[in-house]
Amino acid sequence: MLNLSAQLNTYLVIGAMLFGFGVCGLIRRPTLIGMLIAAELVLCGASINFMAFNHFLAPDPTVGQIMTLFIMAIAAAEAAIAMSILVCIYRDYKSIELENLEELSG
Amino acid sequence: MLFAPELVLLLGSLLLFFLSLGESDGKGARNVTILLGLAGFVLSIITLFQEGSLFMGAYRIDLFSQLFKVLIAVGMTCVVIFDGEMKGISARMRPEYYLFLTLSCMGLMLLVSSVELITMFVALELSSYSLYLMVPMRDDTGGIRFQMEAAIKYILFGIIATGAMLYGMSYLFGLTGSTHLEVVVPKIIELSASSPAAILGIALFMFGFFYKLAVFPFHFWVPDVYEGAANSTTAFIASVPKLGAVAILIRLVVMVGPTGGDALVNLLIVLALCSMFYGNLSALVQTDVKRMLGFSGISHAGYVLLGLLTLKDSGFATSIYYIAGYLVMNLACFLVICKVSKNGENVSIDDLSGLHQRAPLLALTLGVGMFALAGIPPFVGFMGKFMLLTGAYKAGHLTLVILAALNTAIAIYYYLSVVRIAFCNDPDERPSVSVDPMTKLVSVFLMVVIIAMGVAPAKVLELATTAVRSIL
Repeated sequence: MLNLSAQLNTYLVIGAMLFGFGVCGLIRRPTLIGMLIAAELVLCGASINFMAFNHFLAPDPTVGQIMTLFIMAIAAAEAAIAMSILVCIYRDYKSIELENLEELSG
Repeated sequence: MLFAPELVLLLGSLLLFFLSLGESDGKGARNVTILLGLAGFVLSIITLFQEGSLFMGAYRIDLFSQLFKVLIAVGMTCVVIFDGEMKGISARMRPEYYLFLTLSCMGLMLLVSSVELITMFVALELSSYSLYLMVPMRDDTGGIRFQMEAAIKYILFGIIATGAMLYGMSYLFGLTGSTHLEVVVPKIIELSASSPAAILGIALFMFGFFYKLAVFPFHFWVPDVYEGAANSTTAFIASVPKLGAVAILIRLVVMVGPTGGDALVNLLIVLALCSMFYGNLSALVQTDVKRMLGFSGISHAGYVLLGLLTLKDSGFATSIYYIAGYLVMNLACFLVICKVSKNGENVSIDDLSGLHQRAPLLALTLGVGMFALAGIPPFVGFMGKFMLLTGAYKAGHLTLVILAALNTAIAIYYYLSVVRIAFCNDPDERPSVSVDPMTKLVSVFLMVVIIAMGVAPAKVLELATTAVRSIL
């Protein structure tokens, strides 16, 4: 086999793809929940990068893992905040579609 | 003792948390927050010239960090004092609102001191998440619902900015194998001349802070959040978090070294020019004062970048001077907005008509703030812009300086038209505005600082230069 799983580049490409999917999804998704999921993908891309660099390059292989754990914890907090705002939006607008949310035109 | 300002805010936020559990209208919480702000200010002043490092080198106390902590504490205290009645926030939410305000300030204080990537990330998120929660807390009894829309836009784009920042961090970590800036910076300075990955890493890392500073093209949240959030929340978001962003951007720009990094300088030039033109041209057509100040904030972020892109310690010092000035000028304008707004609604420029008869002190504060933002001597805005432009000129960016000077001229139009409406129009049945003594004190303080920093900038600049040298 190509032995892809033992190469740093494989993981960096996966990380970059997740990052790209996330940014693309945030722009293209029509609902707020979809946008939130896409935003999580961006954080996943960064986490995979950290783990990959940590495994292949870092002199001290705990730092990257700790960073990834912190990213997961912070992402959970952020999802909770975003969901609570979404609940408020649904209560006020009766919709989470992006096209119904256009009172502000920034 | 070194950790005292943060420790006081941490204990204070615990106290506020307990206050928020009971039923109260927020008066007690407000007094606690004012005391915390003042305590943070005094303790930062006491520790101003102390140095030390905490938490296994992840946290550094030096003149640079303490200077920013003083400014953050000033901003926090002023915002809490001048919006005493909290007209925009419903009574049952006020204790929580003060809790998040304090937490946000603590996050920023941690941020300016952190010299390690994980610490930096956690501190930044602590301050950002508190802000995300403060935006939707605006009172919705009057049928206002767009604060929710503003909040979701703010948090979603904020996550992307954080993601980009983490992605950049991961490259810096991969290239250097460490998260401590003292290890990362020298290695990246070596690599930045040859490795595109290093430049990409620094640039992506900066995106997270460009978002906080509202630099074009990371500005799209600004007009919506400024309009959607309550007046006092906007006053806070518009001024205090920008201090943290500038502090970290300076720490990052140091990474490219005094010579390398043409790509990064070019990036900063393009971003600075786009921010100035976009901000100023959009501000010309606004009718809502908060939106106008939002767009003007984007252009001011562009000016701050002028100091960073010189890659010299004098340039960084001018950026600190400018952002400190921007803090007081902006607070002066928002003080007037908070007071003129009767029930916490947004203020249009016409609502300021005849302010010189309705509230002379407020009109004077507005005049001083707007003149300072426009960059007219003898106020701090003029000295800041003047030194930023001379600094960029000496670094050889002539075209940039000409275009920036052109922007100053565009900006004068919309700032001065606000002043004209406040001073030359008749009030037309608009009621007079009552101002409590504490707010009067704050507005006099802000005016004195704006003028003092503009007339005698040498002392402040000297302090900022010493501060910058302490991190190089």
